[in-house]
Formats: sequence, C-alpha cells, structure tokens
Amino acid sequence: MAVGTALVVLALVYSHTDELNGWVQSELLVVMGIQILLGGVIRTTIQPNMQRLMEEVRDGKLDFALTKPEDSQLLVSVRDVRIWRAVDVFSGGAVLAYGVAGLERGVGVGDALLFAALLALGAVTIYCFWLVIATLAFWIVNVWEILELFEGIYQTGRWPVSIYPAWLRFGVTFLVPIAFAITVPAEAVTSRLEWPTAALAVGFTVALFGFARWWWGFGLRHYSGASA
Amino acid sequence: MPAPAVRVDRLEKTFVVPEREAGLRAAVRSLVRRTHREVRAVDAISFDVAPGEVVGFLGPNGAGKTTTLKMLSGLLHPTGGEALVLGHVPSRRERDFLRRITLVMGNRNQLQWDLPALDSYELNRAIYRLPRPDFLRLRDELIELLDVGDLVRKPVRNLSLGERMKVEVVGSLLHRPQVLFLDEPTIGLDVTMQKRIRSFVAAYNRRYEATVLLTSHYMADVEALCRRVVVIHHGRILFDGPLARLGDQFEPFKTLTVELDDLGVDLGRYGDVLERDGTRVKLRVPKAETAQVTARLLAEHELADLTVEDPPIEDVIELVFAQERPA
Amino acid sequence: MTTEAGRLRSYADYYATRARTQIQANFQYRVATYMWLVGMLAEPIVYLVVWTTIAEQQGGAVQGITRGQFAAYYIVWTLVRNMNIVFTPYGWEWRIREGQLSAALLRPLHPLHEDIAGFAGWKVVTIVLWLPIAAALWVAFDPELDPTLLEVAVFGVAIWGAYLIRTMFLSALGMVTFWTTRVSALFELVVALELLLSGRLVPLPLMPDWAERIADVLPFKWTFYFPIDALVGDLSRRELLGGLGMQLFWIVVLTALFYVVWRFAVRRYSAVGN
Repeated sequence: MAVGTALVVLALVYSHTDELNGWVQSELLVVMGIQILLGGVIRTTIQPNMQRLMEEVRDGKLDFALTKPEDSQLLVSVRDVRIWRAVDVFSGGAVLAYGVAGLERGVGVGDALLFAALLALGAVTIYCFWLVIATLAFWIVNVWEILELFEGIYQTGRWPVSIYPAWLRFGVTFLVPIAFAITVPAEAVTSRLEWPTAALAVGFTVALFGFARWWWGFGLRHYSGASA
Repeated sequence: MPAPAVRVDRLEKTFVVPEREAGLRAAVRSLVRRTHREVRAVDAISFDVAPGEVVGFLGPNGAGKTTTLKMLSGLLHPTGGEALVLGHVPSRRERDFLRRITLVMGNRNQLQWDLPALDSYELNRAIYRLPRPDFLRLRDELIELLDVGDLVRKPVRNLSLGERMKVEVVGSLLHRPQVLFLDEPTIGLDVTMQKRIRSFVAAYNRRYEATVLLTSHYMADVEALCRRVVVIHHGRILFDGPLARLGDQFEPFKTLTVELDDLGVDLGRYGDVLERDGTRVKLRVPKAETAQVTARLLAEHELADLTVEDPPIEDVIELVFAQERPA
Repeated sequence: MTTEAGRLRSYADYYATRARTQIQANFQYRVATYMWLVGMLAEPIVYLVVWTTIAEQQGGAVQGITRGQFAAYYIVWTLVRNMNIVFTPYGWEWRIREGQLSAALLRPLHPLHEDIAGFAGWKVVTIVLWLPIAAALWVAFDPELDPTLLEVAVFGVAIWGAYLIRTMFLSALGMVTFWTTRVSALFELVVALELLLSGRLVPLPLMPDWAERIADVLPFKWTFYFPIDALVGDLSRRELLGGLGMQLFWIVVLTALFYVVWRFAVRRYSAVGN
C-alpha cells in the first residue's frame, strides 16, 4: 500500500517534469526500489533483533551476553528473523528491476557488482546505526521512542539525497546514515558514482562498524557493573 | 403500597448461536447452510423488587444472572416478556432512566488513566448534569464512606487493583442512582476489600434508600447484604424468598458435630458421615430425624460434645445447582 | 424539566470539562508527543523538497504554484495533518471488545460527544506544541505566506471543520465494527483513497484532471486541501465562504449518515450482547 502511494507520487512528479535534479524516472525507480528492499531487510532482521535487545536491557535479561562479550554482539544481532516482513524485499526488488530495465545506459557487470557490494555495506551501516542507538538502552529507558523517529526519517531515503538542503543532507548522511545505504548504491547502478563518494561510503561504514562494536562492549561492561 | 422499583414479567432472552460442529464435513456444510441453535439464557422469569430492597441473585456461571441485569439496565433487548425499572422500559434507554440507575460490572475502567479520580468525577458531574453543591456533598460523603480520601488525588494509574475498584465505585454512584445493579461486585478482590465493599453497599442502601440488585456466586455477599435471595439456574428462578428459608426449601438437613470420647466408633448408621477428624465426626441428618438421632447418640455413646447446626448455605446451593436441567 | 437553553449550556459545560480533562492528561506526555510530531515531519518535508526542486528547475513555478507557495503548502500541511487525526474504526473495535461501549451506553450522553470533546482537547495541545515546529520550518524553508485577516479567520474555522468532517466520516465507518471484526480491509482502502484525493500528496491542481473531478464530489478535499488553500492560496471572498459552506454541508450529511447507521448498530448490539 505504501509502495502504491510512493509510485503514485513518482508518477505525479514525472507528469510535471522530465528529470529531478538530474535523475530521470527510471533512475528514481531504482532509488525507490532500493529503499523499499532495504526497508524489508531492516524489518526482517535488524529491527526485530534490536527491539528485542532493548526490551531485554530494560527487563534486565541480558546476563547471558556477559559471558562472551565479543560473540554476544553477533548473538543479539541475528536471533530473530521475521520472515513474513520479507514481502517488502520482493516488492522493492520488483521496483528496482523495473527501474533498471528502463535505464538508458544498461548496467554493466562491474556496476552490478559494485552495486551489490555497496548495498551490503549499506545494510551493515544501518545495522550499526541501530546497534548504537539500541545500546543507549543501557542508560536511557525510553530509547525505542527515538527509534520510532527512524521510521519517519527513513522516508527521506526514497529520493536521492542531492535534492535536500544542505543541513538535511548532512543529517541523513552522517547522523542517520541513509544516504550511504541507499543513494550511493543507486548511484552505482545509474553510473554516476564517483570514487571519492564510494571511498567515503566504505570508510564511513568501516569506521561506524568499529565504533559500534566498541560502543556495544562499553555498554555491556557498564551493564555488568564493571567500570568503563 | 408504593409501586415496585423493578417489575419483571415473564422476561425472556433467547440468543441465536451459530452451530459449530467439528470435522471437515460439518465445516463444508456450514458454508452452504448455516445452522443455528437457540440458547435460552433467561426463561420467562417474573419478580418484583420494592423500593429500597436489597435482593441477591445467586447462581452459577451461565445461570442468566448477568443477562437479567443487562436487560434491566437497557444493554440487552429482551426477546420476550416485559421489564419496568422505576416506571421506565429499560431498552428504550431514556436519558431520565439512565440518570437514575447504575450498573457496576467487575473491572471496568471508567476513570481517566492519567489523572486523579477527582478530575474524572468532574466529568461525571458534567455528564449527569448534577448541580454543583449537591455533587460536591455526595462526592465527599462517598469518599468518606469508602475511605478513599488520599487515593482520589493520585493518578488512577498509580493505584492498586483494589484501590482502583474503590474509586471506580465512587464514580459510578456520584449521580445518586436510585437503582443499583451490581454484577459480581466482589469478584477477584481479597477478603478485606470484599468486606469493605459489602459494608459500603449496605451503608449506601441505608442512607440513600436505593434499591440494590446484586448478583454473585459468593454466598458471603448475599448473606451479608440481602434479606431476600433469588436463586437462578438455567435461566429459571428456583427460589425467591427470605434467605433464612433457602435452607428449608432445598435441603431439610441438619449438621451434627459430635465429639466422641474414643476412636473407632462408626456412626454411619445414624446418618451420612461428612467428615471425620480423629474423635470429631460431622454427620448429616434429615431435619425430621434430628431429635431422634440426637437422643440415640446421647444414649448409646459417651460424647464429649454435640452441636446441631444448619448446613452451610454453600452446600445447599451446590446441591441445588447439581440438579440436572429437567428435560 | 430543563429548557433548551439549559440543555445547550450543559452540553457546553460537558465539552469544556472533557476537553480540559484531555488537555491535562495529554500535557503530561508532551515529550513523547513532540517526538511523534517530529517523526511525522519527514513526509511533508520530502514532498516540499521534491516540489520546490522541480519548481526551481522550471523557472520558479509548477503550474502556477511558486517555490515559496509549495513551501507554505507543506508547512501548513503539518498542522492540517494533525487536525485530521481522529477516532478510528479500530477504536470502535477496541471499545466494543473491551466492554467500554457497554459502559458508554449506560451513560446518558452519546459516546460521540466524548470522542469529539476529548480529541478536541488533544488538538489544542497539539496546536500549541506545533507552533515552535512551524517557526523552525518557516526559517528552514522560507515559505511565501502573506494571508489576509479573512484568510486567517477562515483557516481557523476550516481546520475545525476538517476535524469534524473526518470525525463523522470515520465514526460512520466505525459502525461497520458492530457487524464484523474485519474492518481493516475497508478502512485501509478508504485511507488509500483519501491519500490520493485529499491533497495530502500534492496540491490538488497538480493531480490529473479526472482525479480532480472525482475529488470535487468527495469530502476528502474539504478535510485537507481546502484549509491549506484558504491560508496559502489566493481564494476570493466568495470561494472562502463557499468552502466553509461545503464543509458544513459534508458535516451535516455525514452526521445524518452516522446517526442512521448508529441506530441499527445499537439495535444489533442490544440483540446479540457482547
């Protein structure tokens, strides 16, 4: 249903213009497809695990994680899978395929591989973001209210972030890393990706991953009472 | 003679329930043709309640007590017969009618969750259009009667279950209803709270001369509050009269508690042995034979003690309800 | 016993008391409400950015609507969106299931009054909390907004008209819950229709002509597009007052519909119990 609305808006937009900030309709479908697909991934794996984590922190049921803090991160991250939410993965994939089919310049193998790699990295970035916020649950009780904001902010990922004013662009790139997760892979598919951007994306993901891992350990030690 | 507060004449409530059998064939059949079953929850009952009376409706779950109350308060439409409460037909749900009754059913959350009960009482004042001075006076009286003075200033969400029940009860009486329908008012409460509620209802009845119809399956509720009891089972009235005579009608038995001097004596031939605890034996004896049996026991045995009692009402009721529905 | 004036006064008394109670209750949750309000900003901001981008690309306007007007449209949108949040059919479902409906039927006041008055109180809190957000959006997006006094007045009335239209519409729809527990399919369909035809996605003139014609005969336009247009657009005096008239028309029609269905609903409820 939300997908339907999004497509309607897209159709409306392109009934009044041919290109949006340099992006044509099929390219926009690519962005949208990635956003929906990734949204499905988030809802199937990332979100349920992080929500469960926050609940267990709140209820004090996290003791099992104290025995092996390094492995605990893996454990709390992959326990839950909500398979039925995978619908979005398919509808997103369909939109993406449709968009790719309409691209003027086809997608070469190199671009496709780059896209897949960047998409995977994008998923990791989002995961790290969620983990960082969820870890705040060790200190703040009502953390999931913050995560409800994510739902709204994630909508901005439906369009290429280049259209946003500078302050918003900064926010959805570095504060809530949506740009790296969606726009960058989309740029790869639509052959407009530049090396500095790609390098920044990869670098940011690696850095965020490292930080998230350390932050998780920090939070866990605080939880167990050991001095940080 | 004043007109009855509640008049019920051959009141009936029949529910139509879709028939649901197990099995695949039945499921397929039900797609094509829905079969229905009629359930007669209330079966042509009649009774009157005088103003100011407190009547207890006793019966097991599914007997029809709650259905009756719902019909008398206008929530359910009867499928037969008539009911008049304070001269109104309940199912018409006239404003004047609704302002003079109240139905209290178990755990209902009528009060605003995040605010003190006092604020919710203001809402009731506005809903029932109560003149402010009367409202304040009654409110304070009720608060005092139930001793909830410090509870009504706290947000309702911070109160325990029992405390919440008390402030809810105050809320349901602020419009000084003349007829109270109480459906299982003490269910789920601890013993202290039960006693509290009972004494409150009695006090309210005395002070404001309200008519009270109360359903329960706790005998203690009925014993504490009602001089008249109506026993309902399978939608029919089995007994309607003074509580004291309930035992007489249904079970003309007496319980003899005998304290013997030595063990090993079998008293089985005097009556039904209900209990045996060392030297103490409880016997059930038909009322007519009580004098005879007592005399024989005293003559033929060495007794340390003997008491003759009416059987506990619970036992009486249990026997009543154990009767199978007549075909 | 009571005169007509006395009855009206007691209704006013109830509305004031109920609204005040709700304001007190909701004010306790202002932080959570703020988070929620901010989360809702993503949708209009995205639309705003998209359409202002297109406007700029095309020399300043799309079909006569300037960049500044788009900004104004979507900023006012955030308030109108909130005024449109009312008691849903899911609420009726819950009410029946939890026994709250029986309790309401025992009171000498139609539950609809409780909904209207209660939500109105919540709206007051929302409006107050929204003002700083509106100011921030104003600074961020530089809208073109210079309304006349009449336009402001009409807007002030129209947002409440929109609130009432949507309340009556969804309450009428909520009556379906008396017959079935599966109201969600119908409700989602209606919401989808509403999304497209109310002006929530784009200002209605940007929709294709056939869609605009359909929107004209449905109440949705008057819950969303009209209030915004009253403030942001350039409507003549006649169009402004005529719009209020149309709102009144829809309120009356939907209220009548609600009452008719309500009687059947209560009859059914009283026959089968709960």
